Amino acid sequence: MTDRIKEQLSAFLDGELPDPESALLLKRLERDDELRGALSRYSLIGAVLRSDGDVPAARQVAARVSAAIAREPARAARLAWLPRPERFTRAAAGFAVAAGVAVGAVLLVQQLPAGDAVTPEATMARAESPPVQSVAEEVSPPDALAEPYVTPPAGDAPAAIPPAELANFLIAHYGYASPLVRRSVGAGLISDDPSQVEVAPPGDAPKP
Amino acid sequence: MSLRAATTFLLGLAAAPAFAESGQEWLARMGAALNNSSYVGEFVCESAGRSERLAITHRVRDGVVSERLVSLSGNGRELVRENDEVVVYLPDQKLAIIERRWGRSDLMGALPNFDGGATPWYRVEWVGRETLDDFGPAAVVAVRPLDGYRFGYKLWIDLDTHMPVRSDLSDHNGRVVERLRFTTLRFDGAIPDSAFEPAANRNKLRWVRQAPQDDDAPGWRAAQVPPGFRLSMSSLQSVAGTGSPVSHLVYSDGLATISVFIQTPVPGKAPARGTTRSGVASAFSTVVEGHQVTAVGEVPPQTLEYIATGLRPAPVAAPDPRD
Repeated sequence: MTDRIKEQLSAFLDGELPDPESALLLKRLERDDELRGALSRYSLIGAVLRSDGDVPAARQVAARVSAAIAREPARAARLAWLPRPERFTRAAAGFAVAAGVAVGAVLLVQQLPAGDAVTPEATMARAESPPVQSVAEEVSPPDALAEPYVTPPAGDAPAAIPPAELANFLIAHYGYASPLVRRSVGAGLISDDPSQVEVAPPGDAPKP
Repeated sequence: MSLRAATTFLLGLAAAPAFAESGQEWLARMGAALNNSSYVGEFVCESAGRSERLAITHRVRDGVVSERLVSLSGNGRELVRENDEVVVYLPDQKLAIIERRWGRSDLMGALPNFDGGATPWYRVEWVGRETLDDFGPAAVVAVRPLDGYRFGYKLWIDLDTHMPVRSDLSDHNGRVVERLRFTTLRFDGAIPDSAFEPAANRNKLRWVRQAPQDDDAPGWRAAQVPPGFRLSMSSLQSVAGTGSPVSHLVYSDGLATISVFIQTPVPGKAPARGTTRSGVASAFSTVVEGHQVTAVGEVPPQTLEYIATGLRPAPVAAPDPRD
């Protein structure tokens, strides 16, 4: 997803995207799963930041998507020319986009632990990448074996130790980690994290 | 007994397994599978709001364990392990870090024996059977902590292969802290050496070596540890980014481990204080007797704080006047 698309999503959720661009964005939302996921996350961030976790605010974002779909004149005209079954399908797809945003936003808001301080950083971390399906699965457990899936904030406070130093210590710790979580520790080391690993001063022996 | 009650009773008997399943037995089967199987797969790791997809290649051949983890996010990062040597490839930073523990063949050890009293601070529970979308029926076993100093585990063990195809790490209140689930898993008894070659060009990376320099050298010990934790290793070791060797202590309760690093103060550098988290692991930093102390481990942050703040220089034995 390009930065341009991200800017469009953000502007759309703020109600500041021009109508022609909104129409194009909505068309793209219908066929792009990744974009719909991003819209859910962005809407969550906005809703939580504006309302301190109030679920109705997340629903308002979804309502805005529905309203934009309904307002789209070109879309309405296209639907009118379609055979009745396809017209219904396309309209349903539009509502599905809005519903998806609503469900994603509401479920993600619901997973925030009660009483947990919602900082922008923590909100971003929560909303960054959790798959909506996974969260939805946990909110409505299929059976008694399932447990609530609560992803805690990435950081309870500003990082006390620079990420680079932490990575170096984690590498040293990796070999001693419990066999049950060693892969998770390894995954954390090579994850797509923006942190830089701090290197030793020049002079380290190169490996042949 | 009414006819209806009798029918209900008989139906209940029919639904019960022919023999009681044991969590310990399933953990033993899982441990054997982890130690002896060679496989290729992909898994998703979800933690702290992040989701990471990784590929894994694991081979056991002639007693040598090789493993390669590759991030599928596109950053090109990898972790390759062969027995007690681990190399982390960070091509996006043109860097490779080697961690090697010479002579420590117990590194990357097997699961503890849950039946033999090695883990008294956990309770193993048989949860039941559950069908997973990707793998079918699985045996579900929980390893629950008896206090808040450690995390608990819930494991979904494939009935046929005995591999853990999903695991949840939870805190004492049952909140899931991290979830790891396989999406594909294929057994392969003939994985070639080339499967463990990194994709990055080795010659274009800067190599940094981390290694222990002296076993049992640090003059530091934790004056207070949570119940069940014991010192299992201590050494001086080099760590990338530090100018001088770092004291490294490892405490374990038989399952969870904590590494404590003690650094001599660096002039002009502000000491770190507080908690940081990286996926499943947390870190707590503080200053003790002018030294920077950082505890790292897959335990709740308060456990790290408890150990780190109780760290003290070990008393130096007075010279014997008779010498």
